[in-house]
Amino acid sequence: MSGSGAVLRRFLGALGTVFSRYWTVLALLLAWELWVRARHLNAIVVPAPYSVVSDVFDNPSAYAGPLGHTLLNSVVGLALGMVLGLWCAMAVWFSRMLSGLLTPLLLVMRSVPVVVMIPVVARVVGFGTPAVTTITTLVSFFPTFVMVLSGLRAAPTAMTDVFAVLGASRPMVLRRLLLPHAVPELLVALRLTAPSAVLAAMLAEYLLGRSGLGTLFADAVVFVAPQRAWGAALIATVVSVACFVAARGVERRYAGRFR
Amino acid sequence: MRTVRDSRVQTALLVAVGAVLALAAMEAIGRFQLLGRGWPPLSQVLDILHTPATRTLLGRSLRTTADEAGLGLLIGALVSVVVAVLGTVLPVLQAGLDRLAAVLNAVPLIALGPLLIATVGREGSPAVIAALAVGFVMFVSTTSGLEAASTAHRDVLAALGASRTTTLLRLRLPAAVPMVLDGLTQAAPAAVLGAIVGEWFGAPSGLGLLLVSAMQNYQTELLWAAGLAAALLAIVSYAVLGTVRSLMAWRFR
Repeated sequence: MSGSGAVLRRFLGALGTVFSRYWTVLALLLAWELWVRARHLNAIVVPAPYSVVSDVFDNPSAYAGPLGHTLLNSVVGLALGMVLGLWCAMAVWFSRMLSGLLTPLLLVMRSVPVVVMIPVVARVVGFGTPAVTTITTLVSFFPTFVMVLSGLRAAPTAMTDVFAVLGASRPMVLRRLLLPHAVPELLVALRLTAPSAVLAAMLAEYLLGRSGLGTLFADAVVFVAPQRAWGAALIATVVSVACFVAARGVERRYAGRFR
Repeated sequence: MRTVRDSRVQTALLVAVGAVLALAAMEAIGRFQLLGRGWPPLSQVLDILHTPATRTLLGRSLRTTADEAGLGLLIGALVSVVVAVLGTVLPVLQAGLDRLAAVLNAVPLIALGPLLIATVGREGSPAVIAALAVGFVMFVSTTSGLEAASTAHRDVLAALGASRTTTLLRLRLPAAVPMVLDGLTQAAPAAVLGAIVGEWFGAPSGLGLLLVSAMQNYQTELLWAAGLAAALLAIVSYAVLGTVRSLMAWRFR
């Protein structure tokens, strides 16, 4: 009996922890539901949370396809952006000249929100998927570049001295010492960019895509299907949070090995 | 000493050359149509500023978006600072407020469009979306700023029997100022982003509207001009707030 009591106590403890952390979110949802019911608001204006959730669970097939597209767009863009960021960081580390020449561009990239440029990008690379992928690539490029470069430059002097004494070439130092040293920073960049890549993909799809959650949302707004629109938003939120949690998990698990 | 100064001069030269090269590349890509007709030469984009009607249109849109972004920055910063202070005054609330901020940050900005149009209208929603975009950055930077006061200082105040209010007003809030200013600098481009995204949801004017309508009507030069104006707005606000930060922050260290 005491075993089941312990299980129950642990379960209640876990429930208590979740509640103490997420009570604000729950309170927000509850207030929203009550507000909609009390004011007898038209579902076109604000659908109640319960009706949104039930729309998602009643029509999984309507959401699955667009979700797959958005995920594919974000993952491809994320991978491209991170690879590009890594390359650029290595190139800038190698050459002081390149680092100086690229500074103005990087200053601009630091302060200009890329997502604003979706219409311009679409006009250059073509509407639809190319534009969505380009935007997610650009969104994930800059944080990766900055983080990896700071990782490359922050290698402990004692280690670089050892490599110098042993006569290692610069590519060797980069491959054997600096790149492994920059892996934790790369993982931080993944945590920072993965959620925003999903949200940027959705925004780009909303403006110009022919598929994906953003398009599902835009169509639902046009055809006045508020539950569907909010459902798309709900799924995007959940996916973005899940990306963050997953990236944080990867970071916690593997970053320690490279420190 | 000489080598340090030499290398600094060298870097400055490289940066200047880099800026010129970037502008030249923008021009050349457009001139030789390396990336197709969607990328006009820079000179052609600047040319449309000679047309008074276009100049007025761009200026008016820029002012609208700047107003919305500024208002959003103000509201978002005030609300998040108050909420962050509330979280430190009443530690019971802290974990819940943290999670709420993280979840609100994960909500796609456009998803709030229908709700905001129903509540604050098409004119009001860009500023509100800008405030939301600003909120998370400001909340995080204020929260960590309030923890930035050194333990030694805290111990002194505790030993002297200072109340929590006194500690907050005399130590923790002043210690948070550099971080808050840092957050404001980071948040300025986010405010511009929020305002423009808010305009995509059917606002009657602004750079966001201009961007989308120029894209749909294949007015490539106007599209690029609007994009450059948006970039300029973000860069200038970032630079101005960054300067304010570096002028003020040392007073509070």
